[in-house]
Order: sequence, then C-alpha cells, then structure tokens
Amino acid sequence: MTRLHVSLVTLIALLFPAGAAQARLKLAATVPDLAAIAREVTGNRADVYSLTLPTQDPHFVDARPHLVLKLNRADLLLTVGLELEVGWLPVLLTGARNAKIQPGTDGYLDCSTLVRLKQVPRQKLDRSMGDIHPGGNPHYLVDPDNAIRVARGVATQLARLDSDGRGAYDKNAADFAERLKQARKRWAAQLAPYRGTEVVAYHKSWVYFTDAMGLKIVEHLEPKPGIPPSAAHVLRVIRTMQAKKVPILLQEEYYPDRTAQLVSKKTGARLLILSGGTHLQQGQTYLKRMDAMVDMLVAALRAKKG
Amino acid sequence: MRCVRAPARLALIMSFVASTTTMADEPASRPASSPTTRPASRPTSSTDPALEELQRALEADSEAAGDSKSASKPAVPLVSTLTRTFQSLNPDISFITDVAAAYFSADDPLMGGGHDPTKTGFNLQQLELYVSGAVDPYFRFDANLVFSQFGVEIEEVYATTLALPWNLQLRAGQFLTRFGRINNSHPHTWNFVDQMLVMGKFFGGESNRGLGAELSVLLPLPWYVELVGSMTDAAGESTARSFYGGDDLGVQGPGDFEYVLAAKQFFPLSDDWSLMWGLSAALGPNPTGMDNRSEIYGTDVYLKYRPITHGSYTIVALEAEWLLRRRQVPEDVLQDHGMYASLFWRFAQRWAVATRYEYVSGVNGDPLDPEWNGLRQRVSGNITFWPTEFSRLRLQYDHDHPEWRDGYHALMLAFEFAVGAHGAHKF
Repeated sequence: MTRLHVSLVTLIALLFPAGAAQARLKLAATVPDLAAIAREVTGNRADVYSLTLPTQDPHFVDARPHLVLKLNRADLLLTVGLELEVGWLPVLLTGARNAKIQPGTDGYLDCSTLVRLKQVPRQKLDRSMGDIHPGGNPHYLVDPDNAIRVARGVATQLARLDSDGRGAYDKNAADFAERLKQARKRWAAQLAPYRGTEVVAYHKSWVYFTDAMGLKIVEHLEPKPGIPPSAAHVLRVIRTMQAKKVPILLQEEYYPDRTAQLVSKKTGARLLILSGGTHLQQGQTYLKRMDAMVDMLVAALRAKKG
Repeated sequence: MRCVRAPARLALIMSFVASTTTMADEPASRPASSPTTRPASRPTSSTDPALEELQRALEADSEAAGDSKSASKPAVPLVSTLTRTFQSLNPDISFITDVAAAYFSADDPLMGGGHDPTKTGFNLQQLELYVSGAVDPYFRFDANLVFSQFGVEIEEVYATTLALPWNLQLRAGQFLTRFGRINNSHPHTWNFVDQMLVMGKFFGGESNRGLGAELSVLLPLPWYVELVGSMTDAAGESTARSFYGGDDLGVQGPGDFEYVLAAKQFFPLSDDWSLMWGLSAALGPNPTGMDNRSEIYGTDVYLKYRPITHGSYTIVALEAEWLLRRRQVPEDVLQDHGMYASLFWRFAQRWAVATRYEYVSGVNGDPLDPEWNGLRQRVSGNITFWPTEFSRLRLQYDHDHPEWRDGYHALMLAFEFAVGAHGAHKF
C-alpha cells in the first residue's frame, strides 16, 4: 500500500514538475536571429529557444511535433510576423495547448510591430507576383536599427511577464543598443570606401542589410520572390551585372547555389554565401553574426577593387 | 527646419486618419461602454464593497477612455494605418481544385475513394473550400467544404479549444477522426492522387469522420506523446461503413457511437531525421445483428529525412500503416486486414517521385463487399512537379490486382491549384 503510494507520488512529481523550481521564464523565438536578440535582453534570467536553425529556410519549416512541446512550455513566443511563419506556426500554436502564448496575450509578441518595415506593397497583391508578403518584407532582423527596436520591445514585454526583472531587461537592451551603435560606426568606417556599390541578391531578403550598410541591390536571381531562377531571367541578370560591373552576389546558405556559382563565374562577381541566421548552437551572438557578414563583405569588396 | 516639420505634419494627418478609423470601429466597442449611458441598468444589489469599488473604478475608466479616445491618440506610423484600413475580421479562406485526366484499362475500375478519378477521361476530383480563423480567445474554427459535380458536402467543420487546462484539447463538430496517420488529412496533402485502398474498404470513400467530440491530451513527458479519444456518430455509408454505415439504427445508448482511441508519439532522432509512431483503435456497432460490434486496430509509422543542417531540398519519407478489422456477424466473426507503404523522395526544389504498395485481404460472405473474397494488391508510382507551392502536376500509374477479377492499369495526370490564404500543414 505504502509502496504504491510512494510510486504514485513519484509518478505525479515526474508528470507535473513542481512550480517553484521553474521560476525562469521560457522564451521561444521562431528564427535564430530573434532568439539571439532575445538572449541579449534576457541575460541569464530566461531560457531562449529558436524553433528553426540558421541553415533552414524559415518560409518552409516542418511543424515537427517536438516543437509543439517547446511551445507548450513557453511563457513568451516571439515571431517575425508578416506571414513569414504562416505555413507552419499556426499548427504548432494550436497543438501547443498553451493559452499563455496565443495571439492577443502578453505571451505572444509579433516583432514586426516593433520595427521599421520596407517594401510594404501599396498595390493590390496576388500570387502572380510570387510569394509576396502583404505586410512588408519580413527579413528585417539583419538591420541593426531594427535589432535595437526588437530588443527594446522584447524588454518591455518581458517586464510585463516578470516585473522583478524590469531593470535588468531595460539595462540589457540599452547595453545591446549601445554595443550595436558602436559596431555600426565601425562597420560604416569599414564600408565607407564602397558606399553605393551595386550588388545582386538571390532572394528578396537582403534589402534591410544592404540599406544599413550603404549598398544597393540592383537585381535578384529569383525573377519573383519564391520562384526559382529561369534561364532567360538569369541571362538578363548576367547582362545587367556585366554592364554595371556588379562586384558582389549575395545569398543565404539555405538556397541552392548552383545558379549563383554559374553567374559568379560568368560575371566575375564574388559569390557571398551568408548565414541565414545566428548560429546559436556554436555560441554565436547577434553582434558576431553581423560582424562576420560585414567582414566577408569588406574582404570581397577589397579583393574586387584591388 | 523643413525636414523636421514635414514628419510632424504627416503625423497630424495620420492621427486624423487613425481617429477616423477608430470611429469606424466604434460600433464594435459600444457594448463595453453602454453601462455609462444607462446607469439604471447597473446592478445595485451588490453588497460586496470591494466589488462595488471595482465596478466604480471600471466605469470611471471606461468614461475616461471614451473622452480621451480621439484626442490623445498617438500618431501611428503610416504602415500600421494602412494595415488598419485593410484589416478585416473575415476568416482565412482558400480554394483548392483537383482535376485529373485518367485512363483505365478496365471498363469498371475499382476506385473506391470519394475523390478518386473514376473513369477514363476528365475527372473533377474536388473543389475544396477551406475556411479557418479564431472564433474568440477560446476557440479556433476550421471548415472544409467540398464542391463536386453533385453538390456541396460538409467534410469538416469543428471548433478546437485553445485554452483548456492540463494540456487538454477538445474538438467538437464534424471532423475526420485521428485514427492512424492518413485518415485525418485531405486529398491536397496526399502524395498520391487516389485514396489508400484499406481506408476506403474499412471506413469508406470519404475516410473516417463523423459528428461528435474529441478530447486529446499532451502528456507532460520529455518527448511528444499525445493521447486522443473521440466519440462520433456511427452512421455514414462512406465515412463509417464498418459500423452502422448506410444502415443507421439510431442511438439507444452509448454503445451506438463510434469510439476512436489513439496514441501518437514523435521522436526527433536528429535535426534531420524524424520518426512518428501511432497506435489506433476504432470501435463501434454494426447493423448485422443485436449487439454486433466492429473493431478496427491500426499502427502507423512515418520516418522522414529532411536535412536542415545544410541547404538542401531533399526530402525522403517512408510512410506505412497496417490495419486489422474484426466484425461480429450472425454466427461468425469476419477478420480482414490491409496496409499501405509508400516512399516519397523530393530530389529537387520542384520535383519528387513516390512509390506505393498496398494490399487488403478479403473474406467470404462479407456483407459489405460480397465480391471481395480474396487478396487485392495495388502498386503505384508517380512523379510530381510543383511550379510553386500553390500548384502541382502529378503523373501517376497504378496497377490494381484483385484476385477475384482481372487486373487493370490506370494512368492519371492530376493537376492541383489553389488560391487564397496560405494554409499551414501538419507534420
């Protein structure tokens, strides 16, 4: 009888871990850059988990059920929004059975509401234009100014959930903003000689980065967002690149690079395969990720300009 | 100086636009502020002073909010004003069309699925309307209406709870039961043009669904374990044919419903490999005699390789399901079984191939399928091309080999295209 009693108690304790021990907040972010920014804000006060890897295209993610568990136990969900996660997050969110992080609660933060957006379509949209996001371009996290805005917004939201940490969150966000501002000065100096350089990108996901770094995208290898490059379009891009002497071709590591390699060979432009996000598992921070991208860019530009 | 003033003027215009949109929104928020306009309706009998104090504070707040609403509205950026103007509370809607050109080497092919191509020539498999959205903070709404040449059919319409305690979730309405893996999915998510034979024979051409309620729970364990139980009506010739099917005997007690029990487990073997394993049972009455029951048991496995640790479009997925059915009939118990196993390989961004093997056994004296007294096997292969994720073109070959009649070939060119909201897909 007692033994049964003891094993029952053990079972219950296993199934429902005590509330007191889990005071730490649990954050889930849909993409690694968002998780990296959130980590800057939480410091050691919370656990931050990214639902995707930097090597994964955030448009096409499998709603693997173990992610349901992460959302089930989360206190705050950070999304990129603008329908970037529309193909997979709703399934996870419904399956999570977690009222705390449903849209409209303090546990759900759509970070696109915090930032300055670019390429918000004004015309009537339809899918003949490709996979266009009606709310604007969702790849805003590679703009350091937007990263600061997100950090501040996350700090405010965290303070709502954990008022004791308000001071720490605000301070962390301010520190992060300060470090980013310093870094921006450094990047501006590094890139000053190449201001206004024209570049080509694979997908329409680099406008925030190139604007922040003083570069200009003149073409994309995808003829329309989400539509793979066709021979005719690639030929046109090659001609443009040759005419304008475009030195750089940018793309994320999760896109196929065969076309880009070919274009690079034909035009002599340097192909830069940039990371699709912060490599958290290797201990990378948002700042290190941005540093790495700027360093690659500068090295390539310097090599091209001789 | 000018560049400072311009944004200020813009902000002024924006705050005006914002206040007009607020006014447009007003009717929706009216009920909340009505107590202030009709103070007589305020409950005066409340004796709890704390409650009264709270009530007074709430009223004061709503009055204050009403006064300052248009005046102190902060200037909002252009974008959010635009989205506000285009905001609507309509649900997400999408239309999915499946049409096929088919050739069958037999005059009367045995295509049992409700949305299968069934004849040589052009076939409208279905026009599916999918509607979804949040009902309120507590429920989510999902509906699948299917239009065919013969009319409109409500395939599914159900509410799902979002905020039940203890990791519980309730679905109520008409829904596909969560028996096994493929049953709870619609043709536009299938890798093959036609329905799996075993599902058609055991549950019906529309797969197993019914009106009822389902409770599921996510166990608080380190890995994903979900337990599901549902209770649905046992009638429906093409949705519950092993149970009351087309012979609805009505409800006299709880034994006259169909019950589905299922356990689903997921193992993320690595970032790139996933394994899902399920066990299911469907239990209910059949109309062959007093208290005669039907039982269907199944197990399903889904093993998927999709590398996400480096850029790749490769997907390799093995999917298999095995079902056993036992039916009590007068002076006998009929037992048959069947399975499907398929292998899917996406080898390029827009291209995939898939192959499938199926068998379903037969018994003598089957009241539902009197002809089906032997083994039926089918092998299939197909190739898919996706122009985008909103359209796909598939060429499929089936060889159907029923023991009780001549085998035949089928060739189907199926085209699927969708408009509207981007749906989210289950794993």
